[in-house]
Amino acid sequence: MIQIKNLSFGYRKKKLLYNSLSLNLAPGSIIGLLGKNGAGKSTLLKNMTGLLFPKKGHISVNGFIPKKRQPSFLKTIYMVPEEVHVPGLTIKRYQSLFSPFYPNFDKDQFIAYLDQLDVRDQGSLNTFSFGQQKKFIIAFALACNTEILLLDEPTNGLDIPSKAKFRKLISSIFDQGKTIFISTHQIRDLDNLIDRVIIVDNGEILLNASITEISEKLCFKTAGQFSTDENILYAEQHLKGFSIVGVNKDREDSKVNLEHLFNAITENPIKVKEIFA
Amino acid sequence: MNDIFSLKRFLLFLKKTLLERPVQMFGFTVLIFVSVLILYAFCKTFIGFGPAQNISFIWGFAGGGCFMASFVFAYFSTNASGLSYLTLPASHLEKWLCGILIAGILYPLAFLVFFRLMDASFISAYRSSLNPRDPLYKTQYASIFVFPFDGRNTWKVYSLSFFLSGSMLLGSLYFNKVGFIKSALTVCLICIGGFGLNWLIAVLFFGNINDAAPFDHVTIQIGNEVGSIEPPKQWASIFSYSLAYVIPILIWGLSFIRLREKEF
Repeated sequence: MIQIKNLSFGYRKKKLLYNSLSLNLAPGSIIGLLGKNGAGKSTLLKNMTGLLFPKKGHISVNGFIPKKRQPSFLKTIYMVPEEVHVPGLTIKRYQSLFSPFYPNFDKDQFIAYLDQLDVRDQGSLNTFSFGQQKKFIIAFALACNTEILLLDEPTNGLDIPSKAKFRKLISSIFDQGKTIFISTHQIRDLDNLIDRVIIVDNGEILLNASITEISEKLCFKTAGQFSTDENILYAEQHLKGFSIVGVNKDREDSKVNLEHLFNAITENPIKVKEIFA
Repeated sequence: MNDIFSLKRFLLFLKKTLLERPVQMFGFTVLIFVSVLILYAFCKTFIGFGPAQNISFIWGFAGGGCFMASFVFAYFSTNASGLSYLTLPASHLEKWLCGILIAGILYPLAFLVFFRLMDASFISAYRSSLNPRDPLYKTQYASIFVFPFDGRNTWKVYSLSFFLSGSMLLGSLYFNKVGFIKSALTVCLICIGGFGLNWLIAVLFFGNINDAAPFDHVTIQIGNEVGSIEPPKQWASIFSYSLAYVIPILIWGLSFIRLREKEF
């Protein structure tokens, strides 16, 4: 359970990135944390990990206060940053030095994940390409079997086949006891992967809803033409007509398009808040 | 689970720290030892044994200690390595003790062993090069002796090293990038600032100052006469004791607080 209550945080005292932000998340979700560049996605993840401390407010993660960075808390959470760090060690050596800190680490899973992500033992980790290093760290993080996994821009630096493998792997390892946060601005990489969306912008949470709830309240469709309507939140012209995001008044079934959802919400924050209130 | 200290976790962390960057950690130590060896050989040839021992000991013990101290927490130069270090499940105390053990105990001990071996080898080579039939043999033989690790000046080096290493350790937790240079500059600025301020205050009081050192003395020139004003012995010893022990202990302790409060 992640509880954030009235969180205020800023890198400068006078300029707060988050002001009085509150959020409650039950375990058992793959959450997509979306936001523009500089919206504070990584900052939020760092606050949850205890790398940054709230200026005001309170954060509790599974009953722990992250800023204390207690080992009993840290063994339950793993954060994969956008830029990964690997020392000049072999895969085997890395595993022998780092895995003992994670009691639920599973060596067989680790080998299987490396295999699934096409990471081969090619000597020292720091000689791997950036994408290979990232896939190695993702495999290690998954094998640690922590209750909370925070992935900051995990698909940055991965090639197209690797992105697909990553999505497949995340879907396969997910169980109800885990919470996986995926922070990204590459929204298409999260298609069919996440079951909850959090959108942050200008220091506030514009949306925190499950995919089911979103598809109940909004409809995503393509139309040859459209007329301006108060129920339409967003429209984007393409070769075959318009992609439209509107209020789902007729209870239509439609597939959530994360990119259009993001644009609809950032363009109409007040209206969306009313819809999801 | 003990969140403050677990011996098993500490040993795992120490092992990880030593073996994670073996080339840097051990290569760095070897590099310092080689530089000490070269410095010793150079000074012995051109200045003599005594200065060679003193200079190379100060460089290796205090200088090398500073390098090592700034290295043990040098994880914060990149976002990824700093994050990896801070989120690894070990307590602040274990992480701090690991740094202290490497910079404050293991390196100095390794250096002392190396220095004694090097010093003894040079002295042995010197003594065996002497001619026993030479009338000055005994004098020459006895004129060179191994560097004493418990001498008065050696203790001053220990004390200086304790202070400087602690400062570098603390500095490496404040300055994420080029921590060694920034810490060294800060220490220099504080020392220069302290001396400068002391000198300014002394000038305000006396005017005709020759030199002044904080809490130690003020030398005044009146005509051709030079006199030194010193604090009472009790105060002077309190200051020297503080400088040698209290301030370094505070600095090393502050590094623990800084590590605990480190945001990254």
